[in-house]
Amino acid sequence: MTMKSRTIVSLAAAVVLIVGAYIAWDSFRGHAETVHREAKYAISATELLAAFTADERAATEQYVGVSEQVLEVTGSIRAMESISGGKTNVVLETNDPLAAVVCEFDDPDVPQDWRAGAVVKVKGVCTGMLMDVVLVRCAAVK
Amino acid sequence: MKTLKNLLLLSTLIPMMAGAQERYGTRSGHITFFSETPMENIEAHNHKVSSVIDPATGAIQFAVLVKAFEFEKSLMQEHFNENYMESNTFPKADLKGTVEGMSAAQYKVPGVYAVTVKGDLTIHGVTRKVVEKGTITVEKSGAVVATSEFKVKPEDHGIAIPGVVRPNIAEHILVKVNMSYDKL
Repeated sequence: MTMKSRTIVSLAAAVVLIVGAYIAWDSFRGHAETVHREAKYAISATELLAAFTADERAATEQYVGVSEQVLEVTGSIRAMESISGGKTNVVLETNDPLAAVVCEFDDPDVPQDWRAGAVVKVKGVCTGMLMDVVLVRCAAVK
Repeated sequence: MKTLKNLLLLSTLIPMMAGAQERYGTRSGHITFFSETPMENIEAHNHKVSSVIDPATGAIQFAVLVKAFEFEKSLMQEHFNENYMESNTFPKADLKGTVEGMSAAQYKVPGVYAVTVKGDLTIHGVTRKVVEKGTITVEKSGAVVATSEFKVKPEDHGIAIPGVVRPNIAEHILVKVNMSYDKL
């Protein structure tokens, strides 16, 4: 094998290794931590619900987006509800008694000092609206 | 999801006006699905299922946001939403039907009741009639818990799975439902 052939084989092997490593990493990677992701929009809970109530399709396009995006939502805590799977819903006030912005946290990520009535800032991935606007994988913004 | 919201509104107003029986609802029901093959197992969870039961009529509704299904692996979640469920086009799935095998009065009596849910299941924009078995438990506290397990074939709902990944995805996906309802 000539020097040139050896170089080509080595380069090809290196490329295969790098591509393989990338595919393996991409296949097994978990979700990026929401708290470290940049929020695409910062909005109040009241404004977010109003946007979905006024035009759900347009609000879904904007706030849910084609690919996953993070929102930063500010609001007053209406309630905190422990749900299944080690998760807690932090329900943000919207001035609509039948609808809210519901932020799903892993239990350990809910700040200990959060209480109903406190005004908080949350980062989360908006998944759309059913009865409430739903954010998942939420994190507190300090 | 105006229908669900309207049902919730009615649930609040009608009992007050007519002294009728309460409805039961949840906004944080849990649905999981499992795909088990020799190649790999795939599992996803959705803790944001909305559901309402009206014992007087037996009506039951479920609604989920497809993007609220969470996978352990980020890439799987992307493929699920973009390639299979096309969740930008079909952001919600729902079931509208009736509960059979349980009277309105039994919602007041603690016990475990075997029920059948008949209705229309819409996934990926395709609606199919379903008849599934389940259990409704009325706890001593008055809480109502509904559980069910059933299987869904992706192709029945127009979900195309490329041949190259077909061995990785079960022909029938096992769906597990667990709802804890509160009185509305």
